[in-house]
Amino acid sequence: MLQQVPAAADPQVRQMRLLRAALDKDQGSLSTAEQLAQVYIDFGRQLGDAHYAGYAEAVLRPWLTQAAPPASALVDYATILQYRHQFAEARAQLKRALAAQPGSGQAWLTLATIDMVQGDYPAATHDCSQVAAGGGFQLGIACVGNLRSYLGQAKQSLVLLGQLQGVGPGSSPTYQAWIEGLLAEVCERLGDWTQAETHYRKALGLVPADNFLQVAYADFLLDRGRPEEVLTLLRDSSQSDTAFLRLALAKAALHSSDAQLYTWIMAARFEALAARGSDYFGREQVRFALYLQHNPQVALDLATRNWQVQRAPWDLRVFLEAADAAHQPHAASPALRFLHETKLEDPVIATLAQRLESQLQDRVGKAP
Amino acid sequence: MTCAPLPRCLCVAVFGCLTSLGVCAHSASDAYLTLTLQKPGQSVQSAKTVVHGQWDIALRDLDFVLGLDDNGDGHIVWGELRRHQPQISEYAYRYIHASAAGKDCKIKPMRQMVDYHADGAYAALFFDVECDGAPKGFTIDYQLFFAIDPSHRGILVMHSGDNLATSVLSPENSKIDLDL
Repeated sequence: MLQQVPAAADPQVRQMRLLRAALDKDQGSLSTAEQLAQVYIDFGRQLGDAHYAGYAEAVLRPWLTQAAPPASALVDYATILQYRHQFAEARAQLKRALAAQPGSGQAWLTLATIDMVQGDYPAATHDCSQVAAGGGFQLGIACVGNLRSYLGQAKQSLVLLGQLQGVGPGSSPTYQAWIEGLLAEVCERLGDWTQAETHYRKALGLVPADNFLQVAYADFLLDRGRPEEVLTLLRDSSQSDTAFLRLALAKAALHSSDAQLYTWIMAARFEALAARGSDYFGREQVRFALYLQHNPQVALDLATRNWQVQRAPWDLRVFLEAADAAHQPHAASPALRFLHETKLEDPVIATLAQRLESQLQDRVGKAP
Repeated sequence: MTCAPLPRCLCVAVFGCLTSLGVCAHSASDAYLTLTLQKPGQSVQSAKTVVHGQWDIALRDLDFVLGLDDNGDGHIVWGELRRHQPQISEYAYRYIHASAAGKDCKIKPMRQMVDYHADGAYAALFFDVECDGAPKGFTIDYQLFFAIDPSHRGILVMHSGDNLATSVLSPENSKIDLDL
């Protein structure tokens, strides 16, 4: 075999082809274009393959280039930009969409997502209230439930998200898997590994090939010292760069004979991404530099830069890990401040923060 | 509809990113275009300037536009690729043009092989660019995949004697002037 590609029998591939044929027949149909764009975005997200975001963008292009693009197309485009971590550009599109359609729950939900990833929780609080108003009560609860897990209220998150299990918009497997994935993360915040794993497994039972869930569960397994299970979990997902990093980390943890090869391929993939001018993999690059290239200074530089763009718990964690490994606790001061301000719960982060803070105090004590 | 309360159903795409681990995965579309100026004296036709080219295009991308996986089993094998090689050439060379001093240069397909990059297998298209006379520079106009994927990038490397030029070709930067 030369190359793995999506199989024709895949229901989503079939749907893509049908919608593409329908759009070719009726090129002016925004609703068909949006449906196709949506299938592309979703398929690419599940696969961890950025090509599909590009295909979706091309499909929407005729409407995006209009003087006054339809609000829904702007929200679709913002989703694509957000996927590429082009947060400022995504915000600009959402602003245009909301100016045209202030009650768009979808626009508010996308904005809430960006604000959460970037650690602007007051803004996200406002966004979530608008999600509830424009997008419905259940999505509003999901938004708030997720948000609270970053604000020292993970137990409340658990209660809120728990109410959405088995109910919700359409109760589709994708929606339920999303709720289970959020619950798994909240359980991790609370250090309840058993429940976290139950939720991850439930979520993956619903959408087994979902790249986000696979990668999140792989991180969970790596943290629990179970790298051999990562190899099984991600066996068919090596085309995704995020999945490949976890495979490389698992190989290294197992001291496999081909661990070096995985590290080399990962390096080549990052080089290829740098060559095309992409720079949105901060978090992954930090872990690569730190744990596979064993270069704490490079990792710390990357983590510092990444912190300017993203402030989710994993961004915080890799920042602290890099500062710790580079013996530069003061470098992590912005992250430590953020941690205190937000009151984020996370046993792994708390332990790291404690260590760095005691190092900082030692240095103050030793200062002349 | 999976998201009844919403006017449309884009929310599914957002779900995955609405998590702290919502790093979106990558593997975007790239092609690699390597050009090498033929040293003076190597040319059999001294009235022409010849640049040798190798153009690596991902099989994944080609499959999307041309459907290389004939039996639809999710695997492109040698036989399938071999059958589609003329079609790949015919498609790809439509999207690359060269000119020098206001005149079109000729792009002569030579052969096709397979190359491997970190993210998978690529069709490697070998070709020559022939421009009349001895121009000081030439222009490449690259349009591959831009109409179907604006995030596609052509990673160009040009060797001209001891000089090396690199560029990233994008919809906004699809024409590049290169010294000879």
